[in-house]
Parts: sequence; structure tokens; C-alpha cells
Amino acid sequence: MTSEQHRGSETGPVRDLSYGLLGIQLENPFILAAGPSTDDIDMVRRAFSMGWAGAVLKTTSVEGTSVDLAYPMMSAFNHDGKLLFGMGNIDLISAHHVDRVESTVRTLKKEFPGKFVAASIMAGKKEDWQSLVERLENAGADLIECSFSCPQGNIGEDPGKMLAQSVAATELTARWVKEAARRIPVSIKITPHVTDIVDVARAVQKSGADALTASNSVQALMGVDVYTFVPNPPLGGRSTYSGLTGPAIKPLTLRTIAEIARNVSIPILGTGGASSWRDAVEFMSVGARCVQFCTLVMHHGFRVIDDLRSGLSNYMDDMGFSSPLDIVGKALPHIAVHDQLPRRRVRSVIDESRCIGCEVCYVACRDGGHGAIDRRESRIPVVDPERCVGCGLCPHVCPEACIALEGVD
Amino acid sequence: MLREGRTPPDKTAPDVFDSRRSLVEAERCLYCFDAPCTSACPVHIDIPGFIAMIRSGNVRGAAWLVRSANALADTCGRVCPSEVYCQPACARAKQDAPVRIRELHLFATRSERRREFHVETASRTGKNVAVVGGGPAGLGCAFELAKLGHTVDLYNDGPPGGVPLKSIPPFRLPEEDLLHDTGILGRFFTAHDGTLDGLEFSSIAGSHDAVFVALGLGRDRPLGIPGEDLESVFPVLPFLETAKKRPHTLRIGSRVIVVGGGNVSLDAAATARRLGAAEVTLLYRRGERQMLVWSAELGEARRLGVEFRFLAVPLEILGTGRVEGVRCRSMRLSADSDDSGRPVPAEVPGSDFLLPADSVIVAIGQDVRAGWLTGLTRTKKGYIRVDGQFQTSMPGVFAGGDSASGEGTVVRSLADGKEAAHAMHGYIMRRG
Ligand SMILES: Cc1cc2nc3c(=O)[nH]c(=O)nc-3n(C[C@H](O)[C@H](O)[C@H](O)COP(=O)(O)OP(=O)(O)OC[C@H]3O[C@@H](n4cnc5c(N)ncnc54)[C@H](O)[C@@H]3O)c2cc1C
Ligand SMILES: Cc1cc2nc3c(=O)[nH]c(=O)nc-3n(C[C@H](O)[C@H](O)[C@H](O)COP(=O)(O)O)c2cc1C
Ligand code: SF4
Ligand code: SF4
Ligand code: SF4
Repeated sequence: MTSEQHRGSETGPVRDLSYGLLGIQLENPFILAAGPSTDDIDMVRRAFSMGWAGAVLKTTSVEGTSVDLAYPMMSAFNHDGKLLFGMGNIDLISAHHVDRVESTVRTLKKEFPGKFVAASIMAGKKEDWQSLVERLENAGADLIECSFSCPQGNIGEDPGKMLAQSVAATELTARWVKEAARRIPVSIKITPHVTDIVDVARAVQKSGADALTASNSVQALMGVDVYTFVPNPPLGGRSTYSGLTGPAIKPLTLRTIAEIARNVSIPILGTGGASSWRDAVEFMSVGARCVQFCTLVMHHGFRVIDDLRSGLSNYMDDMGFSSPLDIVGKALPHIAVHDQLPRRRVRSVIDESRCIGCEVCYVACRDGGHGAIDRRESRIPVVDPERCVGCGLCPHVCPEACIALEGVD
Repeated sequence: MLREGRTPPDKTAPDVFDSRRSLVEAERCLYCFDAPCTSACPVHIDIPGFIAMIRSGNVRGAAWLVRSANALADTCGRVCPSEVYCQPACARAKQDAPVRIRELHLFATRSERRREFHVETASRTGKNVAVVGGGPAGLGCAFELAKLGHTVDLYNDGPPGGVPLKSIPPFRLPEEDLLHDTGILGRFFTAHDGTLDGLEFSSIAGSHDAVFVALGLGRDRPLGIPGEDLESVFPVLPFLETAKKRPHTLRIGSRVIVVGGGNVSLDAAATARRLGAAEVTLLYRRGERQMLVWSAELGEARRLGVEFRFLAVPLEILGTGRVEGVRCRSMRLSADSDDSGRPVPAEVPGSDFLLPADSVIVAIGQDVRAGWLTGLTRTKKGYIRVDGQFQTSMPGVFAGGDSASGEGTVVRSLADGKEAAHAMHGYIMRRG
């Protein structure tokens, strides 16, 4: 017995986290996003047996579609010693065509009838989109997710551009897909990389599609080797733009989901930067109905499900929630436009008993704030309440988290 | 559960991390796969798992992971030797310094102290098992047996807790931490208080489906030199026990000599200083490098101003009624080494010297106390002989902890108890 096995089974008491979504019963809100971890049936089997509620299989296409992968495909955006703060990939859709994915869906549904198995598709022509939907529906998929947002562009007329960057094309293609899906729901996976995400979301809703998956990776240039000037990842002296994923994009995704939830009513499947149960709660609080994970699993493995489930369960106990759905949308009423924000005076206060005397707050305020923090012999700085405007910079630079903002009046 | 914002630091003991310190430390963990720290921990706590939970703010989940693997979680959080198990194995030690695992797990379980600890127990087997001895080994075994569905009777003289309760000094192990652990464990067995003898043991063995013997050590090895019967010569275990329970009754005077070079003698020396002795001298027959001690304990004794006389043995304790001094002889390290690989000390002729003293504490090792336990085969050193499955020479009787393997640690004894419980479960269920 390896030590992984003997410790894997016990995660502590976890409450019932199940709920219904689009007519499907989910064991918990944690789903594997389309990606390398869902491209192989044995990997998905392992994930399911460890407690993942479902998986979106890596995006597939009709037979004959060429998938010409280039290696290496991964690169990293490390920040301040944190590895993979952001991750870049120049992966394409799956090299497995729909025939193989049909059989994966069939096998998984037979072996794991209680798990959520979604198939992700991408095509160019109408008949290809529709035949993919029909074949995967017949194979027993619980949902079809359509990748309108692969950062390496689409199969089709407009190479280098994502389908979901065109409102009209989005609506048209989504309509084809929805037409072909007779029994199961369809979700359109969109990119945050557009001028107005609400226009795209409205187009999806208008098409009749059942849900939105928001949102895919963000197109990015991962870095440049300053001695050779070849960007990352380097492939024989050349490189290209990557899809950026992981913690770095979480705030972008949160805003995208919130904006969609505030404007359209169809369910949102969250993806893009979640790396803990707390992130998942945040995604759901701005409107996501479940949360998909890709980079976190690629970094640390399927075992992260233990903390996702246990953390969510303990959080729900603390909050008195009985279903994960209780979280959905809780943050939305708190989002307003700038001129509706209350105007109150706050100022910064240092908890002297905990200050370690690094004076990072001092220099931040002097050179990036309002020069409101004074140094002292003791190295414990003090805020001048007259000069402090309450901008809120210093609390975020303090390594001991000992600065708070307090209201004055 | 950790929220944004945090509790003020706990200033009661230097080893207790507050939530901020814990987060900073937790972020140092690499989240290794099949982690070396977990393999090195005798009870195999899922260390990367619980540290990831601290990091995500799921402190309750972290505490559960720790306590479900380590039934003496708070106790070990205090007294587990940081340089023996998980920490030296930590992959991070190869980069800079090991993750402070012990402090992190103490943080997790202490933070959740007010919340009840739930653990699933298997359906009742209808079997009755006896655990004889309520120290770490016995407690670990009783807890595991109860989880496996057995009914457990635990026999111990006094409240369960073993050496940690009776002898580990309170400045290293605050009593509340141990009592919190034993309080939780108490729900899993019926405790019987009393000092057992051979007759009672036979009747317990006769009325249970299996027995686990974990009586620890408990008998101080004597020096075997003249003057050892003087009034102020103390064997270390009763000394430490009295120092915990009734410190004011101990009359040790102002000059104390502690004989022995192990952790127990360091505890005795540090305790004597805390009781007010002005001069405490530790006498050890080999050199400092040969002491089998943990650096934290050595550091604490040094901090308290304990004097060390290495390469010296006592020959005779002098005095009438009370101790007045100790005649000693210097030693040198010979070229031969013993089973432990350490050089054997040899006397230096003509090097005798006299140390004035008001009392002597003898801490040169312990043996199994249970002379009445006659039916079980012993090892050369007098420990209870067991096989790889903790089975003794008597069918159905298992043994573990210090009484089977000599001076050990709390966590190793606890692990013995856990592992023996699984062996016993197999034995009981095979017999039907
Ligand atoms: C002073 C001292 C300090 C130590 N410090 C540390 C430390 O910091 N960290 C660490 O990891 N380890 C430490 N140890 C070692 C550790 O305490 C032991 O290895 C551990 O307690 C052994 O557990 P056990 O269950 O085998 O035996 P014990 O803890 O000895 O428990 C045996 C129990 O059986 C009971 N018993 C014995 N005979 C009878 C009888 N006839 N009838 C009824 N009950 C009986 C005893 O009262 C006792 O409760 C220390 C040991 C000592 C002596
Ligand atoms: C290597 C890699 C391959 C991916 N492949 C696909 C894919 O085939 N289809 C798809 O819809 N999304 C794909 N994605 C995007 C993920 O499904 C997910 O939406 C994205 O990584 C953001 O989530 P994360 O921050 O949790 O990783 C891929 C991501 C990565 C990192
Ligand atoms: S992650 Fe595995 S497959 Fe990928 S480059 Fe490294 S060793 Fe090769
Ligand atoms: S940043 Fe925080 S810890 Fe550093 S000096 Fe300012 S208040 Fe003190
Ligand atoms: S070995 Fe060290 S770094 Fe690795 S998981 Fe254990 S505590 Fe973390």
C-alpha cells in the first residue's frame, strides 16, 4: 500500500453538498474543466474515485480535423517566489476525435452513473457542430459544452480569432448547437477577451442555449527571455501568445461572471483561476452555479478535492447554509457603479503590538500614498490622521497584516 | 475557521503560532506528493494535506486530519521531538529549513479546541478488548480498537495519561493540552483505576477477546553505589512526579547533582533549577557529543544555567542522613564502541574528585516495572518480547510502547498502539 492510498480515504466529516443544476444532480460543485486532466479516461476515473463530482472532457472535434500540437506548450508566470501564479499554454483541442470521446463518455457513464460527464466540442461548419452534439448526446453525455474561446483560434473561416469574439457568430453557432441537442443542455464557453462581455452573454441567451461557461483563459504573452528576445514558451527561436490561466486571472473571471449574472438569467458554470474552496465560494457568490478547475489540478493533482469538499462543508456549517446554491448570487447586491458608492471618511490605524518594524508601509505611503505615515525611533510607524486620506494602500503592503482602516465620524 | 482578519498572537508559550505566523509558515510547504514528512511521522499524519487546509483557511479540516491520525495531537504538538521525525525529512530542509510542522499542527488542533471532534466508528463487533496501561501506547490502541467497533476496557493506575501526565514537566507540556487530548479519548473506552498484579491480569486476560499490554517502563535503574539510600537521593521518576504534583514537599537543597546524560536527566536538571536550586550540575560519563538528547531540551537546560560535568561518574554518595557530597572519578573515551555506536567510557585512575551536594537525582535509565508479569517472554534487556505484529509469547496478548521496545517517544508509542490495534483486530476477527 502506498502512503497516498492509506491517507486518501479520510477527509473528515463532509456534509451533503449535492444539488441540482440544469436537471442534473451534482454531488458537489467541483468539476474538472476541459483540459489535459480530462483527456484520458484513466485520469478521469481516478478523479471520480477521489471525489470530483464531474468532468468536462477535453474539447473534441469531428474525425479528420487536424490537431497539430507544438511542444513545449506550457509556460509559467511566477511572481515573488510563487510558482505558477499564472500558467500559460499553447495547447490545442484534444487529439482524440469524437469517436474516441463517444466511447469515453459511454464507459464513464456506465462506471460512474452518479457523476456529471460533459463533452466539450469545437467545429467549423454547421453540420460538424450538429453531428458532434448528436453523437455525444447519444453516447450519454450529461451536457455539451462548446468551446467558442480557444485562444489558439478556431477551426473555420477566421483563424486567430475566437468565435466568442463575434457577437453575431456566437449567436448563430449557439443556435445550431441548441437545435441539435434534443435532450441535454448546452453551455457556451466564452472568452473574457471582448469589448463587452454582456453583449456576448445576451447573444448566447438569445440563441436558446441553456448555460454559459465563463470564462476561458486570457490571451497573453508569457514573458520574454531578455538575452535572446525569444518569448515564452520558446520553440526553436519562435513563440506565440498563450492562454493564461490560474490564480492570476481569478479577479478577471470574477468580474466577468458578475457582469454576466447581473445581465442575463441563464445559469453560469464558473471557470478561470479558482484555486481553493474559498475561490469557489467567491465564484458562486457572484453567480456561478458550479466551479470548474484546471490549473490547480495540473499543479497539485486530484488530491486537492479533499480540501475543496471539506473546506466548503465547514464553511457552510459556519454560515448556516444548507445547499451550495444558497451561496449563488450573494455578492451581487453589493456590486454597484462608482457614483452609487457611499462616501465615508476612513483612515489607517496601525496595531503597534503586532508591528515588526519593517517600515514597508512608511515607504509605500511616502512614495505612493499621501506621506501620512511617520517614522519613529522605535521603528514602529505612526499614521497622522490629518494627512491620511484613507486610500487603503498600506494595509495591503504590511507583511503582518496589522494595519486596518477605521471609519471616522 | 479562519476568516480575513486574525486573532491576536498567543503570548503564553513561545511555541504557539498565531494564525498569521501559521499562514506565513504554511506557505513555505511545497505540498509534496507521497510526502517524506508523512512517511517519517510514526502515525503518518497527512502533513501536506493539513497544511494546505491551513493555507486555504479550512483550519477545522486541518485539525480533523491531524487529530484523526494523532489521538494525542495537542500533546505531540508540544513534546514531539522536532529533530527526529517529520522535520528532518522535510523536502524544504534541503532548500533552506524544514517547515515547522509541529507548530502548525498544534495551531490547527488548538484553534479548534472548542469544537467537538467527531470520528466515525465501525459497527459494533460485539468483542471485548482489554488495554492494560493508559499511557500513549495504551491510549492509541484503545482509540483505534474503538474505531474498529470493539468495546474497550482500559486499566491504569490513576487517570490515563502515562508518562506525559505523571512525569513530563509542565513547562514543556501544559497540562491543559494533555487533558484536552485525554478528555476526547475518554469517550472511547471504559476506564478502570487501580494497580494491577498478576492475578488481576490473568482474570482480565480470561474475560476479554484480546489484551494489549502497555505498562511502560517506570522502574528507575539504581546506580548501585554506596550512599544511594541517603534521604535526599531521588530516583528521577518519583522526583519528577512529585515535582509536578506536590513541589513544595520536595527538599532538594541548593546544590543538586543529576546523574545521567539523557533527556530525562535534562528534565530533572531543569526542574531542579525551577524548584529553586542555586547550583545544578549534570554528571555524565561520556562527552557532550555522545548525549542522546534533543537540542531544544539541552538548550533549555543551558538557558536555565545548568552546569555540565562531562566524562565523570559518581563512585560514592557521602553524608549522614542527607547527602553532603559525591565522590566522582574522571573518565575518558576508549577506542571501543558499544551497541549504540558510541565510544565506551573508561575510568582514569587517580582522578577522583569531590563535589559538594545537598541532593542527588538518579536518571540513568529505566526498566519495566511489572515484575508480576511473569508469563510473557522478555528480551535480554527485560522488555516484553513481541513479533512484527505486536504479538507476545502468549496467544491473544499483544504488547507495545516502552515496555516492549524501551525508552521511546510519545508519538512512537502511540503509533505502536495504533498498529497493534489493527493486528489485534485481525486476530480477533479471524478467531470469529
Ligand atoms: C521524564 C520524561 C520525559 C519525556 N519526554 C518526552 C518528550 O518530550 N517527547 C516524547 O515524545 N517522549 C518523551 N518521553 C518518552 C515518552 O513519555 C514515553 O516513550 C511514552 O510515554 C511511553 O508510552 P507507553 O504508553 O509505552 O508507557 P507509559 O507512558 O509509561 O504508560 C504506561 C502506563 O501504565 C501504567 N501502569 C504501569 N504499571 C501498572 C500497573 N501495574 N497497573 C496499572 N497501571 C500500570 C502507568 O501508570 C502508565 O500510565 C519522556 C519520558 C520521560 C520519562
Ligand atoms: C493545458 C490546457 C488545456 C486546455 N484545454 C482546453 C480545451 O481543450 N477546451 C477548453 O474548453 N478549455 C481548455 N482549457 C481551459 C480550461 O478548461 C479552463 O477553462 C482554464 O484553464 C481556466 O481555468 P483554471 O484557471 O482553473 O485553469 C485548457 C487549459 C489548459 C491549461
Ligand atoms: S510533465 Fe511529464 S510529460 Fe510533461 S514534460 Fe514533464 S515529464 Fe514530460
Ligand atoms: S508594514 Fe506593518 S509591520 Fe511593517 S512597519 Fe508598517 S505596520 Fe509595522
Ligand atoms: S516534506 Fe516539507 S515541504 Fe514537503 S509536504 Fe512535508 S512539510 Fe511540506
